[in-house]
Amino acid sequence: MRILCARYRHLGLVTALRRFAELRGEPVIVGGAPELRLPVIAASPAAARAGVRPGQPLRQAQQLCPAAAFVPFDAAATEALRAEISARLHQLAPTVEVSDEEALCDLSGRHAAYPDEGAWGVAASRVLTAVLDADPPAVGIAGSRFVARMAARESRPGRLRRVRPGEETAFLAPLPLAVLPVDRAITARLADFGLDCLGAVAALSPAELQRQFGPAGMEVHRLLRAQDGDGILGGAVHRVWTECVVLDPPVAELETLVAAARRCARITGDRLQAEGLSCGEVGVTMELEDAPAVAAAAVLAAPAGSGAEVWTAVLALLGELHPSAPVSALRVELTRIAPGAGRQADLLRPGDAARDSIAAAATRLRTRFGEAAARRPKLAVDPGDLPERRFVWEAPVAAGAVR
Amino acid sequence: MSDSLAAALATLKRRYGPKALRRGGLAEVADVWPTGVPAIDGVLAPGGLPRGRVTLLLAGTRSGPSGRLTLLQSLAALASRSQEVGYVDLAGTLDPGFLADLGADLDACLVLDPGAGRWARGLAMGRSLITAGLPWLAVALGAEQPRSAVWEHALTALVEVVARRGAVCVVAVPAPAAAPLAYASSLTLTCAAMGWQRAHGDVTGLRVRLTTTKSKVSTPGVEASVLLHYPRTYAAAEVVGLPAVLVPPVMVSTEEALPRLAGMPG
Repeated sequence: MRILCARYRHLGLVTALRRFAELRGEPVIVGGAPELRLPVIAASPAAARAGVRPGQPLRQAQQLCPAAAFVPFDAAATEALRAEISARLHQLAPTVEVSDEEALCDLSGRHAAYPDEGAWGVAASRVLTAVLDADPPAVGIAGSRFVARMAARESRPGRLRRVRPGEETAFLAPLPLAVLPVDRAITARLADFGLDCLGAVAALSPAELQRQFGPAGMEVHRLLRAQDGDGILGGAVHRVWTECVVLDPPVAELETLVAAARRCARITGDRLQAEGLSCGEVGVTMELEDAPAVAAAAVLAAPAGSGAEVWTAVLALLGELHPSAPVSALRVELTRIAPGAGRQADLLRPGDAARDSIAAAATRLRTRFGEAAARRPKLAVDPGDLPERRFVWEAPVAAGAVR
Repeated sequence: MSDSLAAALATLKRRYGPKALRRGGLAEVADVWPTGVPAIDGVLAPGGLPRGRVTLLLAGTRSGPSGRLTLLQSLAALASRSQEVGYVDLAGTLDPGFLADLGADLDACLVLDPGAGRWARGLAMGRSLITAGLPWLAVALGAEQPRSAVWEHALTALVEVVARRGAVCVVAVPAPAAAPLAYASSLTLTCAAMGWQRAHGDVTGLRVRLTTTKSKVSTPGVEASVLLHYPRTYAAAEVVGLPAVLVPPVMVSTEEALPRLAGMPG
């Protein structure tokens, strides 16, 4: 597995500087007014040079950097920016994890457009630079999540640090113990033993680490050998695919509208099929001449993954729209895009993957028709005398979703 | 067979698939889901309820108990022990506690509540689940029957999906059955109550006569009777001063029930 880690400025700081462009280059502290009993969420480089760190109380940050501008944290804008980064990176890598200060991408395998992982990483860096409209990120590529993060940490903005397979231990060796993502008590105890860098810890045998620290010791051993299996926690991507046909001059004939809708459905459906995806919701919008646009959307009973399936959904929505004026543009929008349904062998889990598929279908029904549309009964632990208290209702959950 | 006829048949098969044309004597044997109830598996529907077909449990009379919903829930409880079961409750009569008393594995039961009288929605929801892989679907239709034009299309789609996925679909219908339902059914069992089964003054079950009024999978016109044994609760047992024994849910044919009844005190 090859993982790319890109470190950039905190997204809260990026959104704050977008909102208050005049503060660029100034010491800025994100978190709110200093009178509030809140922690610092992010600090600009100028504020960081004064000693301000995330997590400090705002009042302490004000004492360290009295000239700093305090701005509130815009959670909505940050979330939107995170989603935008995720969507853009998903065009480059199949699995992406985006947090406020770093993004991880799975660079395993090959990408048709890039000859090697270096070019691939540069492309990801350019995407991030364009989206953030800020300094290019510091990028690291390595064979495990921890080593990739360390490589990005050791890299500089605009640079890419690659750790080749087999060189992980040598790369980690000079790093301090503080970078280990384990309990501070463990690193303090390692330091008490006279171990001052990761290389010294890596020289210990796994049995010794386990004897001293139990499972945490084995975790340290795996981290230092680039054997941590954490991978990338790819979340759901909120992707919207839109296909629009502009009708000039505006038309009112049903046949033309149907043909335009069919074209949009075919294009988007073919794209879904080509990428092995399916959509769970379809919307149709008609922009009217001299009248407000009319729109209709529906959560599909079953995900659509081809042109024919999208067209069936679009056709049903067309019947709900009653344009009061000639239509100047018709737009088909696909949302809830996810990997297409597939069955995989259930080697270790009891039951069949069909159960997950059924639960997913029931979840769609709940989304479409309400929470009471599809439920599982369960006997109550403490039933009362009334028949309706003998059981409780639960939402159907796929086996894989239970943790 | 002439060459031109053979060529035409080959063209039709190539164009519409191998199932488009069949010789009369080579009708497919329906795959079945064995219920384990001798009266059903042995007499009414040889082997069990057909997969990929719709089975109707039709009330024999317009009023009074017929046992069709109890029979439907008993069958659903039986099925839930081995597979995922969906129950579309258009009748609004499902008590999950009763299902549990019947021995159902509630973890394998999915109850769909489309709202009273929303037949089209309920059938569409059932169709979605079968498309997703649900192997067993029970549909309890209520007495309030919307116009068939409203739900006929949904029923047709459901029948098509049931056939394609090889699912078992059992529909309990009050009398009289609407024409689209009667047409869609491959096996129609008409349920007529023969009388309550009593013990110590309590009602312990219902004797039901089942008649195959329509069958595309076996010989129609066959009759058999079953005893739907109501699960008794501890409280009821205590009232009559009997040991608190939870009677396991059983459906037995009359022939099996008679010795059991003979052994009952009172």
